[in-house]
Amino acid sequence: MERPHPRHLTDRLWIFLCLLLLVSAGCGRKDSYPNRPITFICPWGAGGGTDRISRQLAFQLEQELQVPVNVVNATGGGGVTGHSRGARARPDGYTITMVTVELNMLHWRGLTSISHEDFQPVLMVNRDAAALFVRTDSQWSTLAELEQAIRANPGKLKASGTAFGGIWHVALAGWLTTIGLQASDVTWIAMAGAASSLQELMAGGLDMVACSLPEAQVLLNADKVRCLGVMADQRLPAYPEVPTFEELGVNWHVSTHRGIAVPLGVPESRFSILEKAVTRAAQSEEYLQYMENTGAGAAAVPSEEYARFLEKTDKAFGEVFAGPSFQGVKHKCGPMFFPLVLSGLLGVCLVACIGSGSLRRVSERHEISTAATLDMFILVGCVILYIVTAEVLGFVLSSAAILLILFRRMRLTWAVAISATVLLVALVYQLFAIGLRVPLPRGLFGW
Amino acid sequence: MGPFLTALQNVLGDPRVVIVIFLSAFFGVFVGAIPGLTATMAVALLVPIAYWLDPIAALAAVVSVVACAIFAGDIPNTLLRIPGTPASAAYANDARNLTRQGKSDLVLGTALVCSVVGGILGAVVLMLLGHQLAKVATAFSAVEYFWLYLLGLSCAVVVSSGPKLNGLLALMIGLLVSTVGLSAVHSKARFTFGVAELYGGISFIPAMIGLFGVSEILNNLIRMRASQKGKTEYLAAESPVSSTVTGWQRFLLQPVRSLFGSGAGMLLRRKGHVLRSAGIGALIGMLPGAGADIAAWVSFAISKRFSKKPQLYGEESIEGIADATTANNAALAGAWIPALILGIPGDSVTAIVIGVLLMKNITPGPDIFTKQTELVYSLYVIFILANVILLPVGFLAVRAASRLVRIPRAILLPAILLFCIVGSYALNASYVDVIVMLTMGVLGFVLERHRVPLAPIVLGLILGPMVEERFIQIMTGSDSLIGGFLNPQRPLALGLAVVFALVWISTIFIQTRSKRNKGNPERE
Repeated sequence: MERPHPRHLTDRLWIFLCLLLLVSAGCGRKDSYPNRPITFICPWGAGGGTDRISRQLAFQLEQELQVPVNVVNATGGGGVTGHSRGARARPDGYTITMVTVELNMLHWRGLTSISHEDFQPVLMVNRDAAALFVRTDSQWSTLAELEQAIRANPGKLKASGTAFGGIWHVALAGWLTTIGLQASDVTWIAMAGAASSLQELMAGGLDMVACSLPEAQVLLNADKVRCLGVMADQRLPAYPEVPTFEELGVNWHVSTHRGIAVPLGVPESRFSILEKAVTRAAQSEEYLQYMENTGAGAAAVPSEEYARFLEKTDKAFGEVFAGPSFQGVKHKCGPMFFPLVLSGLLGVCLVACIGSGSLRRVSERHEISTAATLDMFILVGCVILYIVTAEVLGFVLSSAAILLILFRRMRLTWAVAISATVLLVALVYQLFAIGLRVPLPRGLFGW
Repeated sequence: MGPFLTALQNVLGDPRVVIVIFLSAFFGVFVGAIPGLTATMAVALLVPIAYWLDPIAALAAVVSVVACAIFAGDIPNTLLRIPGTPASAAYANDARNLTRQGKSDLVLGTALVCSVVGGILGAVVLMLLGHQLAKVATAFSAVEYFWLYLLGLSCAVVVSSGPKLNGLLALMIGLLVSTVGLSAVHSKARFTFGVAELYGGISFIPAMIGLFGVSEILNNLIRMRASQKGKTEYLAAESPVSSTVTGWQRFLLQPVRSLFGSGAGMLLRRKGHVLRSAGIGALIGMLPGAGADIAAWVSFAISKRFSKKPQLYGEESIEGIADATTANNAALAGAWIPALILGIPGDSVTAIVIGVLLMKNITPGPDIFTKQTELVYSLYVIFILANVILLPVGFLAVRAASRLVRIPRAILLPAILLFCIVGSYALNASYVDVIVMLTMGVLGFVLERHRVPLAPIVLGLILGPMVEERFIQIMTGSDSLIGGFLNPQRPLALGLAVVFALVWISTIFIQTRSKRNKGNPERE
């Protein structure tokens, strides 16, 4: 393959036909909404509770809407990333978001400006109340006994369930404030989530864990943990033996909620199509069965009521976060402690490396010629070009452009460069967007 | 034996289950071989389909997808130096260097055989010791994890080639980069410059693709310019294929021999090493959080320590690759132990598995062995069957992928770049990830020219947030520094701390001794 040989006409024709087939496969489209895949943003990672519910609903929605519904895990920042992306998406009805309780919390903590007012809620699909757990072999068998222990040794007992300021932390702090204690009377150890907190509880590193009942279901059934109470207004149907806090004389309820929402400004006609589909999906037998199996609380709260609920929850959390419990907490190691230590170590390493000469270049490596430097700059430039243009032009045009530039730079002939570009772009598009349904930049044309 | 026979019948007697395993194996290999697409993603894509299957078939699908995807990660790692999983980053350099010498068949054959054997041994551990080991998992609190993570990080430095100081530097860079984003503990933004997308931190998949993949493309650009003009360039040297054989021998016998001959031979010679690596894999893989990754590094490091040719590790050690891939796949079964028995997922894959189980109305828990005996035994059978099937499927994948390096470099390099871009974006649909990939690519290129190994950066990036989280958890929960980290009531933590200290003392000792002996520590 020194240089591309001219091939027989039939050969070329075959290649051309194959290309045509590749490019055109899946191009037939309807005109009405929805006629292309819907992106379903999940602000939490694959495998977690929110992800599972999202995928279950996506599967149901796909059957309702007759288009693929692709779950995208836009994770990070304790939910900031996913919620912001969902709120700022194009309001064309092709991006929906699974909003979670953090929508009511993040803005109070100054992490984002996005709040429930940036979304048009479609349907609330799940609600889970907070509950309080201790080890079965611990000395506390009722909420009152635990309360006594906290009063006797303020600040000694350790609790977790999620990160600092997360929903379960709010739940615990709210309980403590309601019974006239300070939030800091129980030391909150920030953990990644309910699973690792429960594990730490088992390993003896914590005294109590606040999280939802389904999250602790396995350990509860195995009689490894004891549930002292659930912060709901009435007993949960799946856990009739667990008393509510209200029964125990504490007027405090907290629950997480999950629901589907769209950015503001989705056309009315599309919204109602979506609303109908989501409602049917959330009331389908499969969804209800799934929720029952996992022990999670299924819900189907319609748009307007859901909006009012968000409003109310938001106010309640605002009071908790503004209260003294969260303002007065001091951390032993501040957020910059670890980076500072690391920078120090990095500095020491760098000095030692330079001192010992271990960073010297190896002589046998190729020297970089001017042409190669230019090659590298062009390559880096191409990636930047892609980043800048893909959101507007879409994947197909942007990637074709950079491939063509690079192929030409590699001294391929126009014929080879163009056919390789068309083949590759079509292949990647079919593979990722249609075969595996992973996200590709869509651009204004939708491809 | 009763339930085992029923399980055998459930799995092997049901053609649907066998077909599901086969199809999932192909799917897993396919997804795993694409840089940027992870085993977790493959499983997540499978969940809606799992809905239609009965419990055993659904579990079969998950198990075989994961086993195959993890192995398939070694294919781009070997051919293009783009690790599919962080676990394969441990030996990315070794694999690349061997490929350049035309030994990609040797690497992939070894990786395949070792993955299969490791997977099966891991399943055996799950079978025999699952219940007992679950108790160990519950003994791990924040302190134990903290020391385990430090041990894992140390291994990354110990196994790196060249001066250890450079390895340490790389590790610190990785750790420092990992602090970008919201801190796990305080939920305060650090080094994000107001960009909300950075709140999530630097994702390690795009970083890994950049560090290894993009920097390798840049390296290749230089090599291309430096070589003679007018000659078509390939990524690897031609592997020695004898042209005298013809017919089916050429298409089946020859490749089978060249792939498996070396791998199987090595396996027989190194039985002890294989058992050791599988044991390490299963044991560490069982601990919730970063199991398989740490397992591969620790196994690689131990392999190096006991090897007769430690100087090859991190450069072109086939023994290291064998031990790391064995541990890597053995860890997969390990992660199921806490998931099945405690309902606590060992990694993101088993988190999805718990979801699938619940979907099928099966609740994990300590009594799963008594209440769901048939299911558990079927799971064992599935584990073994999935790994056995990986052998032919992986073979086909390797044969197909090996043609990649026969594509002229002028076409291949831009194509790889496109895959790098798409793979980074696919994870999170975020352009920030593409920027991360590009930045890391340039950084990796510069660092490598100064003999700084790249692999420790990846491990630092992954374990950084976890180390910090555990560190602050211990600090918040204890009154004194010593009492927190070296708590006499936690002998397991003390033991891990001692091992950690020993690793460093011995490393420093060996370094200074070789310096005295040869006067040139860099060459080792």
